Parts: sequence; structure tokens; C-alpha cells
Amino acid sequence: MSDLSLTTKKSKKRSSITLGQILWNWGPPAVTFIIVAVLWQLVAINNPYVLPTLDAIGNSFASDPKMYWSNMLVTAQEIAIGAGAGIFFGFLLAVAMAELPIVEKAVMPLIVVVMVTPVVAIAPALVVAFGFGMLPKYIVTALVVFFPMLVNSLAGLRDVDQKALDVFKTLHASRWEIFRDLRLPGCMPFVFAGLRIAMPLAVVGAAVAEFVAAGQQAGLGSLVTIAAAQANLPVTWASIALLCLLGVILVSVLAVLRKRVLWWSDEDLIGR
Amino acid sequence: MSVSSFAHANAVHPDDVGVQVSNVVKSFGADDTRTTVLNGVSLSIKKGEFVSLIGPSGCGKSTLLKVVAGLSEADSGSVTIKGKSVREASRHKAIGLVPQSPALLPWRTILENVSLPIKINPSANAGRALRDPREILESFGLGHAINKYPAQLSGGMQQRAAIARAFVFDPEILLMDEPFSALDEMNRDQQRMGLLDFWQSNRKSVLFVTHSVPEAIMLSDRIVVMAAHPGRIAEVIDVDLPRPRSEAMYASDGFRDLETRVRASLRQVMEAARV
Repeated sequence: MSDLSLTTKKSKKRSSITLGQILWNWGPPAVTFIIVAVLWQLVAINNPYVLPTLDAIGNSFASDPKMYWSNMLVTAQEIAIGAGAGIFFGFLLAVAMAELPIVEKAVMPLIVVVMVTPVVAIAPALVVAFGFGMLPKYIVTALVVFFPMLVNSLAGLRDVDQKALDVFKTLHASRWEIFRDLRLPGCMPFVFAGLRIAMPLAVVGAAVAEFVAAGQQAGLGSLVTIAAAQANLPVTWASIALLCLLGVILVSVLAVLRKRVLWWSDEDLIGR
Repeated sequence: MSVSSFAHANAVHPDDVGVQVSNVVKSFGADDTRTTVLNGVSLSIKKGEFVSLIGPSGCGKSTLLKVVAGLSEADSGSVTIKGKSVREASRHKAIGLVPQSPALLPWRTILENVSLPIKINPSANAGRALRDPREILESFGLGHAINKYPAQLSGGMQQRAAIARAFVFDPEILLMDEPFSALDEMNRDQQRMGLLDFWQSNRKSVLFVTHSVPEAIMLSDRIVVMAAHPGRIAEVIDVDLPRPRSEAMYASDGFRDLETRVRASLRQVMEAARV
């Protein structure tokens, strides 16, 4: 009976979503964006050497979409491979540290040293070592993503429900069983918190790597530096906008993925 | 204070002994601040017997449960479960634990949670009467909830699922650590009677830690009153109320007499500690 009343409540809610809810959800942010756009335009028209007008940026996109597209693909590739590797190895090392205390003891001091070293400072050295190809960009992006992943995953793997662990132990569960059925699924909220930090950083990492490795004239970051050096404001800002778009896409994909994997950790998703 | 030389001299046939705790000593802390939590505790639980541990905080009742569960190692003394060491017993999945919180896995349905002990350590499944998880959930009144997730159930229902999880794999002994302590009084009573009903038709050895005197009387065959500093057994009270028991028993004279006795025993233990 309670189930029945629940579904009716839900369907009622759904029907009212169509009108007021949409306005409520999208109205306020839309107003904010419109205000910002108007202010931007005002500043740009009066100060052409500070900001390009929005229509100038639009024209720049329209005049050479292929150039933007190919540069965006390069940056996207750096993020995909670099961040992918950073996420993978960050998580892997977290698992090793959680399962084998000696690994943490041995590696953590090094991790801390590397973590406090600014990646911006490492990037030129990597370019010297590995040239102007893609490799240093992958490494910089991976490095930036690696630490939040490692730290968050490790915290998640440690944050086990002790009472549930007790139940597993009395059943004489193997370490693998404890990992598979308890630690791994249980650490996912932390992993996603780590990804939420890591994803925007991945864009930063890729852009910074391209700033430094300016010789290879590809990628949105390179595009920004080159256009800025030529005082070409529309291209500069168009590239920045695309970097921003990449970040938004990443964060959105992550949000969808999170709903899929972590439905159980959110009370409104599970539908109490 | 002269209750230390307690010896339980019930001559029990060895085959009927479910759990034998002999002279268990356990202390915590560094050398100079070392406190004895269990000071030579001996106790035997017969097959199919329901034994409650009750006592003031610091009496070591939860520690004793942990030692029997194999989650904590005794400094000296021994615990055997059907003649086997705790390690051996847990390897054979002889111990069912119901912790203080339900500790259900939120990403698994109730059915999947209750099936978990069958899935874990499967080599120990041979030759035992595994219960059908669906059936056991039905008999705990959770038949409608088998495909729900823990967060969709009330606290009382979650705890019932945790109890079902401990019964499902047919362990020799069930260890319950204040399983109803997080529930409100009305819910508590309901869950208590649910456990009583189920246990009365599925007799298992149970070691049950509680704070509640009526709960201990209603459920147990024997009540072990423990004293603190150092933790030890002060008195064992037989509960000779007939079974099967039901809610009506709360109002009986026998129940009230026992309640008076247990409370008196607890008071004595508390006063002794204050001196």
C-alpha cells in the first residue's frame, strides 16, 4: 500500500515538473549568464584591447571551425590518455597502499615530495627530457590527476564500515573477498570525490603542458599562447571558451557516471 | 566483592557444549596504564541455549563477545566452539555475528545482503543446512522487502535483516552485540519478540549482549551478570520461565520476580564498583 501511494506521489511530482520546475531550475542561472554576457559586451565595445566582443569570438569560430576542432581533439586526447593513466595508477597505488602497509611506508614520503613540487615547474624539465611531442603532456596531465585520485581512493579504502568488516571476518572471508565485496564498492564515494577534483585539474594540466611546449603548435593551450602573443583577442578567448567547454563536458560525464555507480549512496536517488 | 570464585558446576555432556570459555583474561593499554577488561572469565553455553550478558559499561561484555567471535585475542585462557578453537570455528563458518548496527551493504538488496554469508568462504558450505535466504526473510516478515535496498527500510527492519543474515548459513553459535540498542523503545520490543519467535523454532546457541533487563529475561535461558573494574562474572541467574514465551509473560509474577532479582544483582555490582 505504501508503495502505491509512493508511485502516485511521484507521478504527481513528474507532471508538475513540466512547467514551474523547469523555470525554477533554468531561470536563475539563465538570468545570471545573460547579465554577464551583457556586461561583457559593454566592456568589450568600450575597450577593444581588453576583451573581444562576443560576436567577434563567434565569427572567429565560424571562420575556421576545422582549426579549432583539430586543436580541441589534441587537447582532448592529452586529457583522455594522461588523466586516464593518472586515475588508473593513482587508484592502483592506493589499493597497494591499503593492502600492504609496507608499500605506504616506502612510497608515501616520495609521494609527498612530488606532490608539493609545482607541476608548472616540472613541465619545462619534461619537455627538455622528452621533447615537444605528446609524451610530456601526458605525463603532466597524469601527474596532476594522480594525487587527488591516490589520496581520495586511499581514504575510501580505509573508510570501511568496521561492523560490516567484523561480519566478514567472523565468516573467515579472504582478503580478496573483503576487497571485492566490501572495500571496493565502499570506496566509490571517495573515488568519485577524487574524480570531481581531478577532472577540472586534468584540463589545467593539459593546458599548462601546452603552454610550456609551445614549439609543437597544437592544442588549445598552445593556441591561447600563440594568439595572445599576437594580441589576437578573439582567437585567444575562443580557445579559452573551448577549454572551458572541455571541462564542462568532463564534469557532466562524471555526474552521469556518478549517478550510475553511486545510486546507493544518495537517498533521493534510491527513492526512500 | 567476594563473588570472584564463581564456578559453574553444571555437569554437561561434552557433546552438548556449544561454547566453552575458560579463564579468559584480556587487558588493554601500555604497561603502566594497563587495565584488565576481562579477569578470568569462564562460561559455558549449551547447544541451543540462549545466554545474555548484562552489566555496567566497562564490565567487558562486548570484549568477551569479541573474543568469542575471534575479533579480539585473549591474553590467556581459551575459548572453544564445539571443541574447536575460535580460528578453526570461523574457518568453518560456525559463528554468526549480529553487530550493534545492522552493517548491511548499502549497494546490495536485502536478499543479496542476507545471501552474503553463503557467498563468502564457500568452501565451508559443505555439509551444513544452509537456509534459503528468501524463506528466512519471509519468516522474519521481510518477504515484501527482499528486492529493496537497506536505505529503503526502517532501522528495525534493517536490524531484522542483519539477524536473518546471521541465521542463514546455519552457524553453531550466534553472537549478538546489543542488536536493538539503536532502536526506539516500541520498535525494540517488536524486534525482540520477532527474534524470540524465530529463535524458539530455530534453536541455536546464542550469546546476547544487552543493557536491558526485561530483554535479557524475555529472551534468555540464563543471564550472566558481569561486574566492572576488572570485568568479571558476578552472578549467573537461571531464567526458569516456560517456553515458548510471548508478550503476555511481561506481566507474569515469575517475570517480575526475576526482574527484581536481576536488578538487585546489577545494583550490587554497581555499588561494589563505587566503593
